[in-house]
Amino acid sequence: MSVTRLKGGTLYDPANGVDGEKRDIHMRDGRIVADAANESIDRDYDASGMIVMAGGIDLHSHIGGGKTNLSRLLLPEDHRDDPRAVPDRPNEGRYMRLPSCGVCAPGTLATGYRYAEMGYTAAFEPAMIASNARHAHLEMGDTPIIDHGAYVMMGNDELFLQMLAAKEDFERLRDYVGWTIDSSKALGVKVVNPGGISAFKFNQRSLDVDEKHAHYGITPRDVLSTLTRALTELRVPHPLHVHASNLGVPGNIESTIRTMDTADGLPIHLTHIQFHSYGMEGPRKFSSGARAIADAVNARPNVTIDVGQIIFGQTVTASGDTMMQFKNAPMARPRKWVLGDIECDAGCGIVPFKYREQSFVNALQWIIGLEIFLLVDDPWRVSMTTDHPNGAPFTSYPHLIRLLMDKSFRDEQLDKLHADAKTASALSEITREFSLYDIAIITRAGPAKLLGLTDRGHLGAGAAADIAVYRDDDDRERMFTSPAYVFKDGELIARDGTLLATPTGGIHYVRPDYDRAIEKRVREFTQANLATRFENIAIGDDEICACCNGGRLLPVACFASNGS
Amino acid sequence: MPDTSTTPSAPSAASKPWTCPFCPLLCDDITLAPTADHRLAAPHTACPRLDASLARFGPNDASQKPQIDGQVTDEKSALSRAAAILSNAHRPLFGGLATDVSGARALYELAAQCGAILDHLHGDTLADSNRALQDRGSFFTTLSEVRSRADLIVVFACEPSRRYPRFFERIASEGRETKFVFIGCDIDKAANAQAESILANADPFDTLALWSALVEGGRPIPTPELVALTERINAAKYTAVIYEPSALPTQHAALAIEALQRIVKAINRTARAGTLALTSDDGAASVNQAITWLSGFPLRTRVAYGLPLDHDAHRYRSETLLQRGEIDALLWVSSFAPEPLPASLDANVPAIILAHPSTAVPARHAPTVFIPVATPGIDSGGHLFRVDTSVVAPLAAARDYALPTVASIASQLAQARRPA
Repeated sequence: MSVTRLKGGTLYDPANGVDGEKRDIHMRDGRIVADAANESIDRDYDASGMIVMAGGIDLHSHIGGGKTNLSRLLLPEDHRDDPRAVPDRPNEGRYMRLPSCGVCAPGTLATGYRYAEMGYTAAFEPAMIASNARHAHLEMGDTPIIDHGAYVMMGNDELFLQMLAAKEDFERLRDYVGWTIDSSKALGVKVVNPGGISAFKFNQRSLDVDEKHAHYGITPRDVLSTLTRALTELRVPHPLHVHASNLGVPGNIESTIRTMDTADGLPIHLTHIQFHSYGMEGPRKFSSGARAIADAVNARPNVTIDVGQIIFGQTVTASGDTMMQFKNAPMARPRKWVLGDIECDAGCGIVPFKYREQSFVNALQWIIGLEIFLLVDDPWRVSMTTDHPNGAPFTSYPHLIRLLMDKSFRDEQLDKLHADAKTASALSEITREFSLYDIAIITRAGPAKLLGLTDRGHLGAGAAADIAVYRDDDDRERMFTSPAYVFKDGELIARDGTLLATPTGGIHYVRPDYDRAIEKRVREFTQANLATRFENIAIGDDEICACCNGGRLLPVACFASNGS
Repeated sequence: MPDTSTTPSAPSAASKPWTCPFCPLLCDDITLAPTADHRLAAPHTACPRLDASLARFGPNDASQKPQIDGQVTDEKSALSRAAAILSNAHRPLFGGLATDVSGARALYELAAQCGAILDHLHGDTLADSNRALQDRGSFFTTLSEVRSRADLIVVFACEPSRRYPRFFERIASEGRETKFVFIGCDIDKAANAQAESILANADPFDTLALWSALVEGGRPIPTPELVALTERINAAKYTAVIYEPSALPTQHAALAIEALQRIVKAINRTARAGTLALTSDDGAASVNQAITWLSGFPLRTRVAYGLPLDHDAHRYRSETLLQRGEIDALLWVSSFAPEPLPASLDANVPAIILAHPSTAVPARHAPTVFIPVATPGIDSGGHLFRVDTSVVAPLAAARDYALPTVASIASQLAQARRPA
């Protein structure tokens, strides 16, 4: 059993309370071990003067499935503009990197390579449609190196809404949630515009938290409170992942805060909250609601968020929120977009978008995202995301880290923006700068905790040896772009941005306990409404292995029963 | 019940519902029954396309062996000759590509090693659909939405049951009234519901231009049929607009698709509707999707290690490449049916044929390797994208003949070329 040592690095490992301590790390069989100090060292890497963190974990990144591939299909110009499209790198074996390209909608291969080069070792697809689950898993299986997983979308599927509208027993709804997670090999559940995607199919064009679905008469609040309760009872570690109502609508702070309260104190995660933090003040009736949102989060310990920061430039917004994406479609740049109603289950809307520094609204969106990062007190409840690719491609992370860590750099960027947006903002008065410890929380320790990945996101004994080692550099953007070393499961897979190996990543999923009697109900619904046979819905273990290219199955344990 | 009394074994998946891989509807309600002469049959399903496809399989398939230049050989020799053909090629075409997701995945690495161009048997139709999407986008719906939601179905200039015999059966819903309007074509007899036909003989582009002027431009048009149809769509709960890309006028099919998408997008400003394209036969959607996610680009892309990907739907059209003599080897993949080699293939261009066991390989001047392969859903499991590209169906083998999959052949060829 060979031992690898990473010597002399400075560790930032918030899960274990380690804040910048110089320590060696030993790895054996893909794990970090504590008991190898006296064993012979087979491989030794010098990390003196370097910063050592667990591999990065992106808990919200659209990396696989129907809408991601439609984004790729829609934007050949994005791939032609890719400055990194030439697969060969100096010092990298000609055959290391299969051809793959794209900036905001990269191929799966490019996605895996670029995450790994940045020191990220896991990313999670947040919007897997159950009926499209095989497709999502196939794509993630073709995303090399990084581990992956997905949250299955619920709360717009007709069966759930029918059961809710018919006031069927909560236990039946809970079991249906459990069955859906299990059959789609999901790690959690996401709800997008609760009830709204379905309502749009019935030609309803807006749906507020306490407004009734035109057909079913239920409200987003009903959907949210049922799903949060179901996940709590199923003991799924990741809280309900919520893309709230009224995305992008000026004045949506109020409904965003009401969304938090639908959980009634149970865990709830509000994703890309930047898009849900808009006030209506000022001459343009569009203002930052970051302070109100941050206050609301600070006051509610059951709430976690990720930000969905925008970064200026061309991207593509890919969302399940057909209701809102249809409204946004006239803003498509380039002028083309895709929308779809999918399988009595969900939908998707793809609208290419260019965020411009000289746009008042875009500038304020950028400001709002940063304000939220800086105003929420507890970094453990904030995960760093750009909602790839909706706010910006994930390759913007090093830039975003610098914005958070470097006040003068932030001010410089702020000066480039639309003057009115700057005036309307409190950002320049916020002096907070994230420390390396904070960054380690919002990019690995926090997301791992929030997903229930007990052996990821930290550097303690027993953890998977997913490790990123950075050269300390005052330019944090440069520092976080190309780590000196990246280890995946103990194997050195990248060195200074040069890939050395491209192993297949594993899949994280949960397997909650539920009463299988619910299958009868799903079967009946399927037979009456769908064009799919019930028996073909669930993805088995062998099949998921094939979908994931033989990647390892990494089941995540549900919370232990509290005995009640 | 499985029949284990004979060698090679007869169809074994008899009692279990089986998913048909032969058309993109991927019907999953079929029961296969073994016949006395060890053939595959689906006696309870009325589908001429299925019957014709199953008839191409027989007990002799199990004994089909690879061939090199018409001489029977073993797999190892065939692979080694195929590898030699690919090593000598500077600009090979991987054509046909009638395979499943795993076949596409495995062929991708091989293509990168060889600097190959990838195109599909139905590349022209696929390119039309891809181009319309790249230029304008789309507003789509899926089979289950059509089945459960659409109360009005508009069929544009095609006869769905001609190529997709069970289409109307698949979208039929008990206890709900669905009305059909056929535009620019006659009523499809298989529709079996209240149907009418309008503008059956009109030029499809005229129809699209007028309809667009009405719904997108808000202008008066001299076509009361389209005005009435639009009013019906506005009054309907949900309208599905069905079209068949390969049935559109071939010269400008992409423009027709674009126009149709523009019209449906405009309709959605006030009413609800979505389009469903009947297309992607022989794994076209599956391979297009897989190559797109791997590379970023759809088919008609050249893939080579060390070079930027090059996607060009015009330049990388199989027929054009073959006619101009721009390729120096052809890897032909046809695992669902014994598709003949392209007629324009020069006799001096070496060919590797990974195809249906009943393929009749012509005598050719250039080196020619034939490896009979498994058909996904007959000889192997697999995954195929359904017609709406939203659902991936799992396939299961219907018999256990030991034919290698396209993926296994492609992986072995790729493995052999990997640097040590």
